[in-house]
Amino acid sequence: MHSFMFRANAVLTFGVTVLALLCCLASVSDNLHHAKPSVDLQILRLESFQRLPNGNDEVKLVLNITADLQSLFTWNTKQLFVFVAAEYATPKNVLNQISLWDTIVERKENATIAQLTRNKYSFVDQGNNLRGLNFNLTMYWNVMPLTGAMYTGKTVVPGLRLPQQYR
Amino acid sequence: MDWQGQKLSEHLMQYLLLGSAIIAFLAGYLTSSYSTMLCTYLVGVIVTFLVTVPDWPFYNRKPLHWLEPMYADMPSTRQINKSKQQPPPSSGKK
Repeated sequence: MHSFMFRANAVLTFGVTVLALLCCLASVSDNLHHAKPSVDLQILRLESFQRLPNGNDEVKLVLNITADLQSLFTWNTKQLFVFVAAEYATPKNVLNQISLWDTIVERKENATIAQLTRNKYSFVDQGNNLRGLNFNLTMYWNVMPLTGAMYTGKTVVPGLRLPQQYR
Repeated sequence: MDWQGQKLSEHLMQYLLLGSAIIAFLAGYLTSSYSTMLCTYLVGVIVTFLVTVPDWPFYNRKPLHWLEPMYADMPSTRQINKSKQQPPPSSGKK
């Protein structure tokens, strides 16, 4: 500690090390937070149910998506990535997941979702298994913190069914 | 700085930085604002820099005692011994 530059270097280096520890502590403090999100997903109507020229089935839906995800936000949250997926099993695939709608929520005030919308992305099967199919609609959320690892949660709405005939 | 001052400066640096980190974490956690935590910590780092790094007078309360300087034209011991062996040159001895 015998020159200006030596002491300046020591202060800045130790300062940055302590800053790294502070960010780790902020990330750990997220584990103390309990979130209680509420989600409701409904299919209002089926707009079309066709077989495409390449042999795959396609469904067009109108979804009613309501969710209150404000409790997922902590002081250490950067944004939420929320998406709604249809999940079902077919003889060919054990699990099919098709993302129908998504959004990015950056502020806590915007975390209440109330959307009445057609599916943003096509609901197309790998094959023609959709007639009479039982499927779940699941809302997933990826929470991206300011410091720390991303984690995921979900709410499942089971027991939905597509009609037996094309429309 | 003297030795005691260097020790004081190093201790002050460590305690001030850890203290401002704790205060910053509490400030950010209680106001639920990450940017509050970072700004408070930055203020703490600047304060630590200003207290610890410049050579303030209170770091020099026990100054080091250096020896008296010796100058080049004072006769050294070797020169004195040499002049004892040879008699000094005399001029005008009869």
